[in-house]
Formats: sequence, structure tokens, C-alpha cells
Amino acid sequence: MLNRIYIGLMVLVMVAMCAVFNLLPRSKVSELEKRDLTEFPAYSPQRLANGSFTSDVSAWYSDTEPYRDQLMMVSMYVKDIIRLNVGEANVTFHASKEPEVDAVAEQTGEVSLPEDYENHLTADENAKIANAGIIIVGSGENVRALMAYGGGAQGGLSFARAVNLYKERFPAARVYCMVIPIATDYYIPDKVKKRSQPQHPTIENIYAHLTGGVKPVDIYNVMGQHADEDIYLRTDHHWAPLGAYYAAKEFARVAGVTFRDLASYDRHVIRGYVGSMYGYSNDIAVKNAPEDFVYYTPRGIDYTTSYITYKLDKDFRIVSESGPTTGQYFHKFKDGSSNAYCTFMGGDSKITVVRTAVKNHRRLMIIKDSFGNALPGYMFYSFEEIHVIDFRYFAKNMVDYVNTNHITDILFACNIYNAYSLRAYDRYERFLTQSGAIQPPPPVIEKKKEQPTEMPAANVVEKSGVNEVVEPVQADTTGH
Amino acid sequence: MVFSDLFFLFVFLPAFAVSYLLGGWIDKLWSLKVSESRHSNITGTRNLVLIIFSLIFYAWGEPVYVFLMLLCVVLNYLSGLAIHYANGGARKLALAVGVAVNLLMLGTFKYLGFLVAQLEMFDIQLPVPQIALPIGISFYTFQSLSYLVDVYRGEAPVQKRFLNLLLYISMFPQLIAGPIVRYGTVAAEIGSRRVTAEDMAEGVYRFILGLGKKVILANQLSEISDQFLSGSLSDLTTTGAWVGIVAFTLQIYFDFSGYSDMAIGLGRCMGFHFNENFRHPYCCNSITDFWRRWHISLGSFFRDYVYIPLGGNRSHQAINILVVWFLTGMWHGASWNFILWGLYFGLIVMIEKYTLLKLKHVPTVILHVYSLFLIVIGWGIFYFDDFDRMTMFFQVLWGDAALLHDFVTESALLDNFWLWIVAAMLCMPIRSGVRSLVERCCRRHPAFANGLVMMGRTVLSLAILILSVALLVGATNNAFIYTRF
Repeated sequence: MLNRIYIGLMVLVMVAMCAVFNLLPRSKVSELEKRDLTEFPAYSPQRLANGSFTSDVSAWYSDTEPYRDQLMMVSMYVKDIIRLNVGEANVTFHASKEPEVDAVAEQTGEVSLPEDYENHLTADENAKIANAGIIIVGSGENVRALMAYGGGAQGGLSFARAVNLYKERFPAARVYCMVIPIATDYYIPDKVKKRSQPQHPTIENIYAHLTGGVKPVDIYNVMGQHADEDIYLRTDHHWAPLGAYYAAKEFARVAGVTFRDLASYDRHVIRGYVGSMYGYSNDIAVKNAPEDFVYYTPRGIDYTTSYITYKLDKDFRIVSESGPTTGQYFHKFKDGSSNAYCTFMGGDSKITVVRTAVKNHRRLMIIKDSFGNALPGYMFYSFEEIHVIDFRYFAKNMVDYVNTNHITDILFACNIYNAYSLRAYDRYERFLTQSGAIQPPPPVIEKKKEQPTEMPAANVVEKSGVNEVVEPVQADTTGH
Repeated sequence: MVFSDLFFLFVFLPAFAVSYLLGGWIDKLWSLKVSESRHSNITGTRNLVLIIFSLIFYAWGEPVYVFLMLLCVVLNYLSGLAIHYANGGARKLALAVGVAVNLLMLGTFKYLGFLVAQLEMFDIQLPVPQIALPIGISFYTFQSLSYLVDVYRGEAPVQKRFLNLLLYISMFPQLIAGPIVRYGTVAAEIGSRRVTAEDMAEGVYRFILGLGKKVILANQLSEISDQFLSGSLSDLTTTGAWVGIVAFTLQIYFDFSGYSDMAIGLGRCMGFHFNENFRHPYCCNSITDFWRRWHISLGSFFRDYVYIPLGGNRSHQAINILVVWFLTGMWHGASWNFILWGLYFGLIVMIEKYTLLKLKHVPTVILHVYSLFLIVIGWGIFYFDDFDRMTMFFQVLWGDAALLHDFVTESALLDNFWLWIVAAMLCMPIRSGVRSLVERCCRRHPAFANGLVMMGRTVLSLAILILSVALLVGATNNAFIYTRF
């Protein structure tokens, strides 16, 4: 009798689970991992014969489960439960720091480079390594997720050459180069220091190779001086708007333009923000440590913002463009929105032009990645016009664009991963020669199996030395 | 397809279960029609359903090699008949041919590339053939061998119906990663079997336990072992090496015994009673004992079909032991490290025969520690099929490392603290312990004890099922280790 009850119950549960997993609509997008899920594989006799069709069907089935994000969250909770929760006070790690560095240096024959910045804030924090090599620092509400950086002291030349090329092509314009460090150097605890390479050597290397009067905007130490403020988001891979403020200030100094301090700005707060690092690290501790997303809008000045918007296909390739249309520069997000970083211009895949009331004959073009999105908002007191171009989404001819718009200042502002990319030169060089017409994207050649998380940064650079970095696209794919 | 795959759990398995039940219903009607007697038990439709689903199951992973398996069944079917009908010398010849065919098949698809590569030692240069290993070939050829030998010895009846032999060899629960079910074990049940409520309940429970072992324990442990052992060994610390190899020790046990549990459970739900493949191997008190508890179906196969025919412990025992262990190692893969691994255990077993097993009054704790230590070292040999890496690993393991210890080891221990505890506990016979405790406490009320046990079971089953499904969504490291062999 008991056996029958047990069987009956199990059958009931299985039937219910089968109904849920087979009858409900399948998931298409993972909000958690910010990516489109696997699609049902294409059939061909060859693919059936070599087994890839059936294995892809299994992979598709597992990837697109109804409620997959919720189920993944359960599994993250489980993975969190199995660890022993030790408070800082209970446990001290006796990682022998000094010999470690020596041993590594000895082994690889490299001399460890002097670093300008010394982390005094979180050097002794507890840390663990989560998915994709992401370093989770601290515990409780102050958890901070850091990406590992794997670039070496010789990297970044392709980016430097690209910037130099622009100076050569636009000799009349002032060209600036700003490499934006990621948070890791400033907050990495000593015991996991080995996991990430210092960024300063790469940055120095890039600046050392700038020629022809390109001006470096060295913000590495500027950020270091303010590391005790909230200049980087704890739960996102981006910096915080406050960090961008200090960077913008340094840029204004180098460019010789007026700059207003934060007193001229209104402060806005989006509460309960949890950024991308939750999905990347698969660590529930990040979700449990929401932070305030604080941004600043210039007070009491007139400016207009217009957008040319690119429509993208699912592989983030440009399909068409529309506009220009006028719109808001700052987008308002609700508390708890994970898209708060899209406050600036609403995302990446567009060309933004801001016209201000300033009359100084200075017209700025910022060629940037998503880190750079946080910069232009501090320039409205400094330039007549600000053109914001994302280096991934620009289909016009750059020479025409610069000439038509009478650009006087060109700022390259990229995070260190993108500055390290070997393909940087080719990319920026293509902008100078492309026709300006949007080509229909070529058909996708069958892609190799992708890693479940598109978090290449740390891994890609680390493992292959090749360093194409696809930044997760923020707004346009995930909706507001 | 593997058992711990969402597609298997929620598409294949339900489809199979419904079809099989339908088949059972048809069988029942048929039985009544044929004999009016309630005792006749026809299995034809059920068997057919099982065969069709088994072939789909295998073809899902091996769409081409499924024909190789079919060919293997045909050849064994014919050999079996030949052995049965022939007399005297011809009978022996039929067996020899049958065995040779199986070994040739296994040899070609598993060992040819390895053997050709070894010819280089004798300065013979031949192009090394690149043959992909068909999944499960080591298991199904061994099952075929057991069939032929059992028929030859008269220990099991010949199978005159082709489909029944096909069923025996291709049955999906044990097809790709064992246990190696002997023909004699299931011969009778192929033709006639019943499923009681107890069979069903035990089978379901066993399957769920196996799923949990694999998905909850083995998959998490594999992340730890991979973290330390699969990458560059140059920055591996000594403590890291130990943590990594102990994680692998636990991983391989839960992976393989989990698979066996699922196979045994599925079989039981259909009325087949497979033999146990594991009996808490890490609770052994000698290496000899370990091998009576680990992968029992392989050990007993070699015992009955190689060791004893060679003369067992009656003549040249030492050589017999070495041969058996050489083959045991070799069975796991075409690589020297597996052979070394087999011989390592052969040597220990031989030494134990003359020393440890003759000693009395050795404290059990010492015996356990001694055995576990040698087992863990053994997995070190097993893990690395590259000799340079293996050497490097053992150097680090014995303390010849750039760093003895760093934070990563502590992190792996603390971040998975409860996983380690639960895994270590489940290596012990904790289930029967709990059961007997409950029974002892409620001796006066056996019905209450039963109810309590069943309630525990239900809660555990549900928890495992839900957790496993959650962990399987987005899982990437889900292949069973033993499907490689």
C-alpha cells in the first residue's frame, strides 16, 4: 500500500513536470545571462549522421526550459548553501602574499612591475572565485564582483595605432586617448591578486606608443585617488557615473575646456540595482547585495539631444538605421531595474548628438564602448556639440562625418579589454574607408558551440591571448 | 543520450513509459487470449517497445555506430546457435570464432590506433588510424562474450529468438555504461517477468537516488577536480593537488555508482533484476576488498571468464593475477596509464595476498586509511593519460611544488563545505543505517516504522528530483565518466 502511494506520488510529480517542461512556451531570452537562448537546430542529413543534430536538440531542450532563469536561481541558491558561511571574524586566511609573488615571478622569468596603486580598502577581504573566473569580494551587502584581467604589458598596440591613425587623418583635430581601467586593480584582495594581471602596464604601454601629438588622458591614478568613493559599480562590470565624473574632469583638464563640479548637477538615485555580474558569476551573493545607482544631470542648462538609431539583428549586426530623432539624453529607470546603466542615451547602438548652449567653437566626438556612455553627460558645459559614437555600431564614413560636423576634438574612451583588442586597428581603420551605406549582413557561418555565458573578458584574454571582446549589449535587447 | 539529461528525463523517459505500459496492456490481453490462465506471461510487445526505444537511445548518440551494434548482435546470435547445435570440436570452434569476432570488434574500434602507435617502439611507422570510440562498445561486447561463454558452458540456455538477444544486448538502461549484466542473470526475465508494486517503488527510488548522486554530487565535485587537475599544473599547489584528486575520487564514485543506480532502478521498474555493481567501495579494509566492492560486474567478469579458466589460484596464480589486472586496466581505455593503473592494483592485490590478508588484529582504522590512501593514489594514475602531466602531478602531490598551499585550496574546501561532508557521509552505508535505526526505535510498531521510512523516502525523492532539474538547467559538464570506456 505504501509502495503504491509512493509510486502514485512520483508519477504525479513526473506528469506535472513533464507538462510544465513540454507544454508551456519555451524560454527565448535569459534576462539573467542577458543573452538569447539556443534555437532549435537546423536539420540536415549530414548533421544527423555525425550526431550533432541530436546533441543540439538535447542542448536546445535543456537551454530553453520554461522558467529556466528561475530554475537557475534555485541552483545558485543551492550552490550558495553548500558553502560554509564563515564571517570575516571567524576565519583568517593565511595566504602568504610575498613569497607567492616571488615564486610566480621566478617561475615565469618575469619581473613584477611596480604598481602605482596599492589597494588599502579591500586588501584583506575574503574572496572566492565564481563562474567565469569572476572574483567575489567580501560578504553581505558589500559584496563586490570583479572581472579578472589577463592582458600583459606588451598589449594594446593595435588600439594605440588606431588612435595615431586618426590623428594622422585629422591633423587639425585634437585627438585624445583614454583607457578606462576596470575595477579589479582597485579592489582586489591580496589573496586573489594572482588571479588578475595589473592593468597599469598595459595602459602605460598604450600611452607610450601614442604619436603625433595624441594626448593621453591618464585616469588610472585619478581613479585610485577616489577608490574609497563609489566610482565603480559593485554588481556590474561598468564603472559608476561618479567614476566617469572624475575621468571627465581629468579629460577637461587635458583638453583645456571649462568644467563644472558636481555642485552644478542634480543627483538621482535608482535603488536596488543589481547589474550584469550576477548573471555572469552565477553567484547569488551578488543578487543579495543590491546597490544604489547614482547619476548626475546638469542643472539649468539648455541642450538638445538627437539620435540616429541602428537596428540590429540577433547577432548584433547592423540591419538598418533610422532617425535622426530628438529625444532625452538621460533616461529614467525605476528602482530595481537591472538596466539602470542605460540611463545614458538608452544604450549603445546609436549615434548621439548633443547640442549645447556653449559657444567656444569646440565640437567633441567621443568614440567609445559602453563605459564611455557615462562620460558625455559631464561635457555639456564644455563643448558646443558632442557626438557620441559606439565603436561597434557605426556605419557611416568617418572622414565625411568628421568634416561635415566640423569636429575639433576626438576622444577615444574604451575600457581596458577593448583597448587590448588585437582587432582595434582594423575596426577603426574601416570606419575611415567604408562607404556609409549599410550592407546587408552576410549569412552567419555556423557558429561553434558558445559558452553559456557571454563573458569573454577575463577568459578570452587570459586563455588565448586573443582578445576580441564583445560587450554585453545593454538596452536594446533586454527592453526597458 | 545520458540519463541525467533533461531531454531524457522529460521526453524520452515519459514517451518510453507510456509506450511500455501500452505494450504491457497488449501483452496481458494476448496472454489471456492464449491460455485463459492468469499465470501465463507474454512479454513480446513490451520487449519490442524496449528494443525500439533502446535503439533510438543509442542512435541518439551514435547514429552510425548503431549499425555496428546491430551487426555485433547478429554475429553473436549466429555464434550462439552454432555453439548450441554443434558437437565436440566444432562446438569449441564456434565459441572460439564467436569470441574472436567480439574481441576483434572491440580491438579494432578501441585499441587499433593505440596498438599501431606502439609499433613505433619497434621502428615500424604506420599511419595511425583515427577511429572514434563507439559509445558503450566495451560494455556490449563484454555482455556478448558472457552470453557465448555461458551458452557454451551450459550455464544459460541458447537464445533462439533474435529479438530477445537484441533486447539483452541493446537494453538501454545498461547499454552505454554498464553494469555488465550477465546473460544468465536476465535470461529468464526476458521471456517472462512481472513487476510488483515493490519492484516499481524500489526502482523509482533507486533511479532518483542515482540521479541525485550524479547531478548533485558528481557534477559539483567535477568542478572542483577540474579546477585543480585539468588546467596547467605548473601553478598547482600541493594541498590543491590533494584536494583535486580527493574530489575526483568522490566524483568518479558518485558518477559511476549513480549511473549504475539509475540502470538498476530502470531495470527494476521493468521487472529486471540486475546484480549490484557497487557495495560502498570506499569502506573497504584492503585493496582486495575494494575490488570486491567496486565495479563488481567487471571484476566478476574477469574472475569467471579469465582468472578461473587460466587456473585461478591453483596454478601459476601470480601470472593469472597479472594478466587479469593488465586486462582490467586495459579495458578502461587504450592508454598506458590505464594499464599502469591496472597493474598497480594487481601488484598490491598480490602483495596483500601474502602479507595483509594473513595478518590478524590490525586495527580497522589503519586498514581503512591504508586502503583509501592507495585508492586515491590510484585515481591519480587513472586521471592523467599524459605521462608528463602525471609525473608532474605526483611531484606536486609529494610536495615538490612552487607553493605548498594557497588560498584557492581553502576556498575550494570552504566554498563547498557541505558538499564535502555530504559526499563523505554518503560513501558510507548510511541509508541502511538510518533504516535499521528507525526500525529499532519503533520495534513495537513496524507499520509506523515503515510509514516513517516511506515518508522519508518521498521527501528525499522530491527534493532530489527538483534540485537535480534545477542544477541541470544550463549545466555544461554533464557527461558520465564511464561512457568514455
